[in-house]
Amino acid sequence: MTDSKYFTTTKKGEIFELKAELNSDKKEKKKEAVKKVIASMTVGKDVSALFPDVVNCMQTDNLELKKLVYLYLMNYAKSQPDMAIMAVNTFVKDCEDPNPLIRALAVRTMGCIRVDKITEYLCEPLRKCLKDEDPYVRKTAAVCVAKLHDINAQLVEDQGFLDTLKDLISDSNPMVVANAVAALSEIAESHPNSNLLDLNPQTINKLLTALNECTEWGQIFILDCLANYTPRDDRESQSICERVTPRLSHANSAVVLSAVKVLMKFMEMLPKDLDYYGTLLKKLAPPLVTLLSAEPELQYVALRNINLIVQRRPEILKHEMKVFFVKYNDPIYVKLEKLDIMIRLASQANIAQVLAELKEYATEVDVDFVRKAVRAIGRCAIKVEQSAERCVSTLLDLIQTKVNYVVQEAIVVIKDIFRKYPNKYESVIATLCENLDSLDEPEARAAMIWIVGEYAERIDNADELLESFLEGFHDESTQVQLQLLTAIVKLFLKKPTETQELVQQVLSLATQDSDNPDLRDRGYIYWRLLSTDPVAAKEVVLAEKPLISEETDLIEPTLLEELICHIGTLASVYHKPPSAFVEGSRGVQHKRLPGSAGSGESVESPDPGAAATETPPAVIPSQGDLLGDLLNLDLTPTTTTGPPPPTTSGMQMGAMDLLSGGLDSLLGGDIGGNPAMGAAFGAAPATMPASFNAPGSGGLDDLFDLGGGVGMPMGALNPPKAVWLPAMKAKGLEISGVFVRRAGVIQMEMTLTNKAMSVMTDFAIQFNRNSFGLAPAGPLQILTPLSPNQSIEPLNNLQVAVKNNIDVFYFSCQYPISMLFVEDGKMERQVFLATWKDIPNDNESQFQIKDCHLNSDAASNKLQSSNIFTIAKRTVEGQDMLYQSMKLTNGIWVLAELRVQAGNPNYTVSSVALAIGPIINQNGFENGFTNQAL
Amino acid sequence: MTKHFASTIAAMISQVFILSSQGDHLIYKDFRGEAGSDVVGVFYEKVTALTGDQPPVVMNHGDLHFVHVRQGGLYWVATTTADSSPFTLIEFLNRLAALVKDYCGSLCEKSVQMNFALIYELLDEVVDYGYIQTTSSDVLKNFIQTEAVCSKPFSLFDLSNVGLFGAETQQSKVAPSSAATRPVQSSREQGGKSEIFVDVIERMSVVIGSNGVVMKADVEGEIRVKCFMPSCSEMRIGLNEEFSIGKSQIRGYGAAVRVDECSFHQAVRLDEFSSSRILRLCPSPGEQTVMQYQLSDELPSAPPFRLYPTIERDSGGRLLMYLKLRCDLLPRSAAINVCVTIPVPRGSVSVSQELSSPDQSAELKLQSRAIEWRIPRFPGGTQLSALFKLEAPALGPAPLMEVGPVVLAFELPHLTVTGLQIRFLRLSPVQPGPSQRWIRYVTHSDSYVIRV
Repeated sequence: MTDSKYFTTTKKGEIFELKAELNSDKKEKKKEAVKKVIASMTVGKDVSALFPDVVNCMQTDNLELKKLVYLYLMNYAKSQPDMAIMAVNTFVKDCEDPNPLIRALAVRTMGCIRVDKITEYLCEPLRKCLKDEDPYVRKTAAVCVAKLHDINAQLVEDQGFLDTLKDLISDSNPMVVANAVAALSEIAESHPNSNLLDLNPQTINKLLTALNECTEWGQIFILDCLANYTPRDDRESQSICERVTPRLSHANSAVVLSAVKVLMKFMEMLPKDLDYYGTLLKKLAPPLVTLLSAEPELQYVALRNINLIVQRRPEILKHEMKVFFVKYNDPIYVKLEKLDIMIRLASQANIAQVLAELKEYATEVDVDFVRKAVRAIGRCAIKVEQSAERCVSTLLDLIQTKVNYVVQEAIVVIKDIFRKYPNKYESVIATLCENLDSLDEPEARAAMIWIVGEYAERIDNADELLESFLEGFHDESTQVQLQLLTAIVKLFLKKPTETQELVQQVLSLATQDSDNPDLRDRGYIYWRLLSTDPVAAKEVVLAEKPLISEETDLIEPTLLEELICHIGTLASVYHKPPSAFVEGSRGVQHKRLPGSAGSGESVESPDPGAAATETPPAVIPSQGDLLGDLLNLDLTPTTTTGPPPPTTSGMQMGAMDLLSGGLDSLLGGDIGGNPAMGAAFGAAPATMPASFNAPGSGGLDDLFDLGGGVGMPMGALNPPKAVWLPAMKAKGLEISGVFVRRAGVIQMEMTLTNKAMSVMTDFAIQFNRNSFGLAPAGPLQILTPLSPNQSIEPLNNLQVAVKNNIDVFYFSCQYPISMLFVEDGKMERQVFLATWKDIPNDNESQFQIKDCHLNSDAASNKLQSSNIFTIAKRTVEGQDMLYQSMKLTNGIWVLAELRVQAGNPNYTVSSVALAIGPIINQNGFENGFTNQAL
Repeated sequence: MTKHFASTIAAMISQVFILSSQGDHLIYKDFRGEAGSDVVGVFYEKVTALTGDQPPVVMNHGDLHFVHVRQGGLYWVATTTADSSPFTLIEFLNRLAALVKDYCGSLCEKSVQMNFALIYELLDEVVDYGYIQTTSSDVLKNFIQTEAVCSKPFSLFDLSNVGLFGAETQQSKVAPSSAATRPVQSSREQGGKSEIFVDVIERMSVVIGSNGVVMKADVEGEIRVKCFMPSCSEMRIGLNEEFSIGKSQIRGYGAAVRVDECSFHQAVRLDEFSSSRILRLCPSPGEQTVMQYQLSDELPSAPPFRLYPTIERDSGGRLLMYLKLRCDLLPRSAAINVCVTIPVPRGSVSVSQELSSPDQSAELKLQSRAIEWRIPRFPGGTQLSALFKLEAPALGPAPLMEVGPVVLAFELPHLTVTGLQIRFLRLSPVQPGPSQRWIRYVTHSDSYVIRV
């Protein structure tokens, strides 16, 4: 009791002492006291009780003391708003002080006091300071506008500060310009549609002039602002690039990266045959290389960015392989990034050098790094075919070291090499089998088991080997259990006589003694297959596997494109779009590279690079996934869009997917501009395939601009084709296509173009399971071999896997849902009425179609040609209500009410459906309109 | 309620704080009111929980992203809620640390603690509402009022802190490294004693293959100026006249000095550079890197060290390593503080050694699985040898593959491997009173690897 009393009095005593010192007459003593107060504040003590005493010290001509008091004020004003008002008079007076330092100090501090009452008093001083004769005051005032806007946006607009700020862009002092640009950029973000930062050739010119004069930090603001500008043509693009290029030799890496961002973006607009394009490519390499001599923190950030740049434009750094060789004293995180880039840059020309390095790395001390190095050797083998043999022998050397983790990693990658080059390196299996006992990691065990199963016929004692694993079946991880099950079934199919007992044993272990549903299910499938039709079992289990892709860990192209627009920012370090980690993605635009912003114009572009940006290729799942699902080779693409994945539970989910797809196609280019949409896409908005633009682009706008389209017979025009599979992704085979509905049949029209050097033959097509059960009506009929640069246009239906003599390629494409509306979708009036009432309200959804300048009849006609039938029409208070029905191929009916108000370009659609209607419907409507327009 | 707008402005700092290595708050400044001061603790927890292989550079806590650097044993942290540029933040934090060092004399917990008022004042001028304003000490000196508090009076004769340049102080007229460790502002009251230090520092990375071929040889260099002048006057630094930049230059006879890439501080004026290789600048008080350059692959001279190893297993299962190390510098130069690290196979337990002179030493570090052989001074043109007998009862099947690569760390005082020299250093107008000009050269090993 006495103790605690003593404690509190000391505390009080401290505050009391400070209070006395603050009120002292001596300036020095006062200053020391305020310093003590701030020292307490820094370590987190509450010294707010001293507020009045500290504020009393504010009126002083000692600048040092004044600054200290202001520091205190900024911290505590918010908790003591009434007291803060006491300070206002001094602020206002200080804003008139003859000393510009004091004027600036006052306006800077006032902006930091986030108390509403104070902001009212701030307006007049701020207005004066924005026009101050001293640039130091003006640049401080410019920032203050942004501060005030954050507290009270309306006030800033009402007071006309935004216009003053815009004027400051033309200020004579570059520091003022830089701050004005920064403030405007930030304010503009909270008004996505405003034209605050009106970038036109004149302002761009001013910014470029200021760029040469302002501080390094100002240059960053200006360069980032430039990066948001889209030049009108390639000539403007080039002239901006020319003026930005000198920044590349700046000593500040942030300036360099901002310049790289601008150049990478504007380069998209330059024709590739232009001399300047080549010059620019050459100029980009040295600054990137220079970054690697910085301290490790910067190096790491730089490497993450270079990783992106290398994926987008490998040509920039293709001759700089050596700088990515690791140094022994690099931190491990730098080493791992370097390794990744080395593999990306590996090519036939430099593979010998790379391999020699990797071999050295594999003997280093650090375990993580060694593992990654071993894996990298495997990736080299897969990427550069000519090096495969050397890689395999290097791996064998490493296995000889018997270092446990090296051996295990080597086996994992050798499995991949077997997948890539079947029947080529099987001679090494014997060596691998020697190391069976030392494998203790699931991945390595699984890989080894896979190898044994796959090559069971060549391994004499395969049954013994697998049996030895079987003893501890229950202790293995799922990955190993699944693999073991499959391997033994393979073995049985290859050597049925000797292994009957073994297969019985594994099947019963998997189905009866396991609670893992995956394992059980797979066990049952094998069991039934084997017991009903061994021939079919053989076909399934020993089927030829698709080859694994050359490049793994590639960033999905649309995401890559967005990340390139964010070079030098956190997004480029996380390799995630900003919307994934910045709070309230509101206002964040999904940035896109300018070259690909247009719609389907470049569909036929002969350049594979340009085509790549247009397309939604499904990224081929990495080998690991494929292996895990060896027999379950469903071709689920990893993209988030396209036909709903078969695994989704229930129709509702599928419908959701369709919705997002439909919305994309409707909104075309300005997807990112709509905040609600950003949210709807959830975690991975950037993976939206760009091709949604193609079939849907211009969608409604085009439609309703083309007044002449009304009543045009359906199918008279072909919608343009979009590139579904770029040549780059498919070893030279480019596929573009489009969906149309003709005479009641859904058709998928594809153009297959051979952009490779060799002839392609043996085409086949297969679709993944999808919600509406679309399947090819006939095989892919390509009779003549496809010689290089020849293209053909077979008529065919729908989508997903295309095979030829070279490889199997997967891609996903989207069909407009209106394809699925059948011709007999007109419902009887009575039935309609009854059904409309019967459907619960939950199934209803509403949405608006914007900017439709059609009257109800024209709209009705238009929709009818897409099999959306008008059943009845009613006019209430100047509004036309159209009641409509449509039927999907799978027999589901969808009913809708379309409200059209004369003179209002926005339609309201309410729709209901049996089961999945509400969501499908919107999509259908949009496509109905869209289709017709095309 | 504060509103948060996801911003993509590249340089928006939400908070800046400086922590001691124990996590004590030394400086905390909130610029935008977006997050509370409790994040300081969160940061410290996160950064101390990192394992070695996790990149420490960028970390996040919800929507708040931390970027930090470590300087002077302190954590310098900036936070942001926007998609800011980590380059900007890292460069900024490094500049801030440099500024604090310039203003407070040295960079340590004590000096930051004592000068917190000065640092707050600096921060207020350097950043406004999260926008970086300036980091130039030249501009800042107009605004800063607070005087630095110095922990220890500066003395040129205090040689206790001998480091980078101090190795051979006694023999040569070289200023000790501590000479440049004092606050810039204190020159005001030091009676106008003006001094300027120009340091040419090079770091070399070399990889020599097991066959003796030089596989890679890079040099990164910089010219650093540290200026203590009462008044700023123009300085002219003359480099070698034969200095050339770029790969395509045709070299004639003579000692041409070539680099691949070169970048300059923005204050440097280059109007006399192309004609007579003169850098002109008005140095700001404090330290600045005036020029940075790199050279890859074509060193003008042979790499300074070569190793001739012989490794074999003897009948007793021991591993015998006979190493001959040659220093190819010119005889008048010498390398100092040479440390040779030789990785040894797993399972090695002890080593016995025979070294060629008594001042050398060697020991087996089991933790890093390597022998460290230290040579305090290694004159050019000489050769040293060492025999290590490694006791390793449980050797793997391929122990020779596990030996190497050998790594060398060293310092080459008074020497630049590129051959870059400073011809002259002129101040104009000539400073009143006595002024000292120091020019120092040093080359460090960055990553010098010899494969075996």
